[in-house]
Amino acid sequence: MAPLLAIVGAVLGFVAGWMFCRSRPTLAEGSLVPAAQPAQPVPSFADVLEDHPAGVVVCDASGAVRFRNAAARSLRGTHAGVLIDEAIERHLSEARRGIFSDEAIELYGPPKTVVMVEARPLPDGGAVGFVHDISEQRRVEQVRTDFVANLSHELKTPIGALSVLAETLEEETDPVTITRVVGRMMGEAERASRTIDDLMQLSRIELGGERGVEAVRVADVIRSAVGRVTEIAARRDIHISSLGSASVEQADDSIIVEGDRRQLVSAVGNLVENAVKYSEEGGLVEVRADRDGDWLEVAVVDQGVGIPQRDLRRIFERFYRVDPARSRGTGGTGLGLSIVHHVATNHGGEVTVSSVEGEGSTFTLRLPLLATTPVDPLTDQTPTEYTNRHVDRHIEGVA
Amino acid sequence: MPEHGDLRDRFHGGVDQLRNDIARLGASVIELIPRVTEILLQQDLEGAEYVLQGDDEIDARSIQIEERALTMLALQAPMAGDLRQVAAVLKLAPEIERSADLCCNLCKAARRIYGHSLDPKLRGGIQRMSDQAHQEYKEAIEAYLANDAVRAAALRDMDDYLDDLHRQFIAQIFESHAAGTIDLQVAVQLAVVARFFERLGDHAVNISHRVIYISTGWLPQHDAAKRLLDRQDDAATVGDQGGS
Repeated sequence: MAPLLAIVGAVLGFVAGWMFCRSRPTLAEGSLVPAAQPAQPVPSFADVLEDHPAGVVVCDASGAVRFRNAAARSLRGTHAGVLIDEAIERHLSEARRGIFSDEAIELYGPPKTVVMVEARPLPDGGAVGFVHDISEQRRVEQVRTDFVANLSHELKTPIGALSVLAETLEEETDPVTITRVVGRMMGEAERASRTIDDLMQLSRIELGGERGVEAVRVADVIRSAVGRVTEIAARRDIHISSLGSASVEQADDSIIVEGDRRQLVSAVGNLVENAVKYSEEGGLVEVRADRDGDWLEVAVVDQGVGIPQRDLRRIFERFYRVDPARSRGTGGTGLGLSIVHHVATNHGGEVTVSSVEGEGSTFTLRLPLLATTPVDPLTDQTPTEYTNRHVDRHIEGVA
Repeated sequence: MPEHGDLRDRFHGGVDQLRNDIARLGASVIELIPRVTEILLQQDLEGAEYVLQGDDEIDARSIQIEERALTMLALQAPMAGDLRQVAAVLKLAPEIERSADLCCNLCKAARRIYGHSLDPKLRGGIQRMSDQAHQEYKEAIEAYLANDAVRAAALRDMDDYLDDLHRQFIAQIFESHAAGTIDLQVAVQLAVVARFFERLGDHAVNISHRVIYISTGWLPQHDAAKRLLDRQDDAATVGDQGGS
């Protein structure tokens, strides 16, 4: 028995010794003194926390702040920083008493932001507090719930009207009334179909398929877009000046973007149409195209009713309406600006808005220029490195 | 028996805490301005109620800060810059508390114009005044936080712009009333609303004066006092010459 125990003991001793030897380099790695690879120092725990996008504040058992990372320091000296600090302090003191606590704080900004402040107790009696910006998360949640509610509303209204009108028709014998009701039914059907058409267009643009990539003269785009609304504008005595800066006509040959002509016309057309719809009679709508470095800027400026500040961030959402009663009256589907937004994103650009209620709005569509020198779109010459990069990206996007 | 250094540290800790509390009170007013404007423009009665209730807390905090500043004056007898810091706290707390009251008044005005729609030009005017007042307040409090007299000195020019906006808005009230988009009652309420924003700007300017005072010991009133003294001197000289 004894020799057997001795052998087992020897084996165990050997294994333990081997593990101890093995464990030493591991410990060394763990204690951040890497011996094997001095070229790549492992960052310390504090370094990792320092660069973390969330704000992190650690206090000791007495409540004195021991650590504050870069994100938590970044707001110092601003009123938002003061308010967030106050909240952190409050929650840290709760956490030191062993209570997990958190709170969402809305800051009016601008821009409006929502931050989540939470604190957790630490084993040594101190506490750690975290601050994250949850504005985007909140916004997405809001968009999602509003979208479903608005979609049902947009489709249910004409369908409900159709059903009521059909009921009226069932018992009606007077030919005049029948003609009137049928006319209204057609109008409602058209409205529902417009909404569905726009939704389908939007989803096509979003998917990015069916998009032709060609060099497009901006002046042509603006001309077609303005052409679509001349009639409505004339009826309301609204003057559209697409030559305000003269640059559109003079520099037209040199301002070229690459993308889908139809989508671009649709985007600029939607902006001009909105400008006309929300202008007062006799107003002025200006469409300007200008170069800003490697970018094209198409600005559509009106002097209409304008957009309230709180709605500015949300107007590019599907079906979002500033004043539901008014905008449904203008016959829009509530998808126009959403389409503009997606066309812009698809082309590697963006659309922005600035507005003051009662003074008018300015929508600016920014797109990357194909070339800053005149190019013959047919021969497709002088693709610079910059434009190549963009073409590549778009082709990838299509594939 | 604590060392001198300890006492001094404790005193400065106390001043820092007071400054911090003033900054917090100011920051809550900075947030209140856009909030009450939204309440006013959206006719959000529930929001108005909430703000009105929250005012008690601001009042309580303001009075606490004042009392602590008084205690500090009585027990520590600070000098020079320290004295100005504590004295400024005594002036700033009621200034900010009064600004919060103006925000409450805006909420009450929102209740009074409830149910009346405002045309886009009036709404735009309110938004512009609010943005400017908000910007001024933010600038004043952040200048205080940074102890930055130069930044504070810009407030006067900023406030001139708010005064312009105020005048333009009053003209717009007349125009809208003449066009029949608002009745007389609403017109009067809006004139009062404009006044509240303008007053908020004035409070921001007062705060900025205190920021300058903390660093330099100078207030605009000093110039006025000097002018008065000069005039009195001149009058005395003329009187003497007349008598002789």
